Amino acid sequence: MPPEMLLLAALDGLAYGSLIFLVAVGLSLIFGVLGVLNVAHGSFYAIGAYVAAAGVLALTGMGLPPWLAFPFFIVAAVLVGVIVGGLVETLLLRRIYGKEEVLQLLVTFAVFMILEDAQKVVFGVQPYFANAPMNWLGTIEVFGIFYTQYQLILIPTVALLVLVGLRLFLRRTAFGRAIVAVTQDRDAATAMGIDATRVYLITFIIGASLAALGGALSSATTSLTPGIGSGMIVLSFAVAATAGLGRIEGAAVAALLIGLGRSVAVYFAPEFDVLIPYLIMVAVLLIKPEGLFTTVQTRKV
Amino acid sequence: MLEIKGLTAEIEGVQVLRKVDLSLAEGATVALIGRNGAGKTSLLRAVMGFMKVTGGEITFDGRPLLQVKPHERPRLGIGYAPEDRRLFSTFTIEENIRLPAEVMKVREAEIARRLEGVYQVLPELADLRHRPAAGLSGGQGKMAALARALMVGTRIILLDEPFQGLAPVLANRYAAALRALRDSHPDIALLITESNPSLLRTFAERSYAIERGEVTEIAGGLAASSLEAAGLH
Repeated sequence: MPPEMLLLAALDGLAYGSLIFLVAVGLSLIFGVLGVLNVAHGSFYAIGAYVAAAGVLALTGMGLPPWLAFPFFIVAAVLVGVIVGGLVETLLLRRIYGKEEVLQLLVTFAVFMILEDAQKVVFGVQPYFANAPMNWLGTIEVFGIFYTQYQLILIPTVALLVLVGLRLFLRRTAFGRAIVAVTQDRDAATAMGIDATRVYLITFIIGASLAALGGALSSATTSLTPGIGSGMIVLSFAVAATAGLGRIEGAAVAALLIGLGRSVAVYFAPEFDVLIPYLIMVAVLLIKPEGLFTTVQTRKV
Repeated sequence: MLEIKGLTAEIEGVQVLRKVDLSLAEGATVALIGRNGAGKTSLLRAVMGFMKVTGGEITFDGRPLLQVKPHERPRLGIGYAPEDRRLFSTFTIEENIRLPAEVMKVREAEIARRLEGVYQVLPELADLRHRPAAGLSGGQGKMAALARALMVGTRIILLDEPFQGLAPVLANRYAAALRALRDSHPDIALLITESNPSLLRTFAERSYAIERGEVTEIAGGLAASSLEAAGLH
């Protein structure tokens, strides 16, 4: 096992884990607050990726500088979260809160199928490749290995900012506390003057935007084809379940764990590449069925 | 100020409130006495907007309350301390108490002023303010829930079985806090539910009995003789 390959695997894992975290933390947050396991979450990732790629191709096509892609990623993520996420919550999810889980899964799965097809209609089925932002940032040398700054620095930094930002938002702002209060006890929170309907909507939009941001960031690193959404939802569900649904810091650790596990497998046992995240999930859940981070000390959301 | 007329409400098709009439005047202390399951909690929950009301009306200062969304009702100055406390366990005591005022975007100076008033009524909470709410005893929790209701309840405070499950010493402390509240905020109306009428004898100037969702006023208040006449003891 050559050390450079191990290092390379670790760097890959860091970049990949950061990306999964962005998607999984939104899934986990939505579950923690709304109590709905949102299968359509993968679609927000995919739509975010396609919108970002289409935007970057349009930007570079017009001869504009590639760095404009970075602010555009954020705008695209928020737009996808507000428009697509907002519509899904307002028109559909609002009707199924508190209903049986099977119904919730079926409804969100149906939304996922609809969005998958809508995305094929809008963006077509040809692969999109928009790596201009990644090339613009250049590479960095780590112990003799050249790695893109985009994957090694930008994506993990964004993930870290999201983790810290989310923590501070939930803990230190009045609206964040309102979200936590609704999570713990919806009626009691309402009796304190909190509009739970609005809290649900905004939480869903935040979660959807984070998934779309993950998609936007991933668009520069890979070619987009139909089906990226389904791959991501399964993976981010594995992360959220490993961490314990509703745990934010837990999702970060689990994402890193699964990201590293997967990239180590890519280098050393490629046939296990796809399998590793689920093996990790199963191993964790066999020992701790409630997830790694579900204890009295850690907080739900 | 708060008028309930002919209020009927149900839970999953079962009537739990039947044509309830009750009125609460400004600054009044009113007791609502009834056994477990008689409908005390349901009546308070109906005022807060958590019940499916099928008939009758509630008015607050002459304004129909049933059309007001549940989360808007605290903004009218109605504070509510549920029976099972319902504190947010991951927040500290003070974060719990401040929460409703923060949510309603009360200015920081005003929050500080109200907090001071709350700690004057409930001095023991001042020492516990930075403790997590999860670690509170039952009695401390009841006081924190009262404090939280006080932060928004500038007009009315609804207390659901505040003495339920309190050790005698704590019940005395709680009663003292209520007396302090009466003295410092004479214009706030209090509606207190209880299964044991003797606990409220020294407070309530007006009382109602509730049985199987029906409310009747107990003539003569909570004096032993009138309780007996009403079939309570």
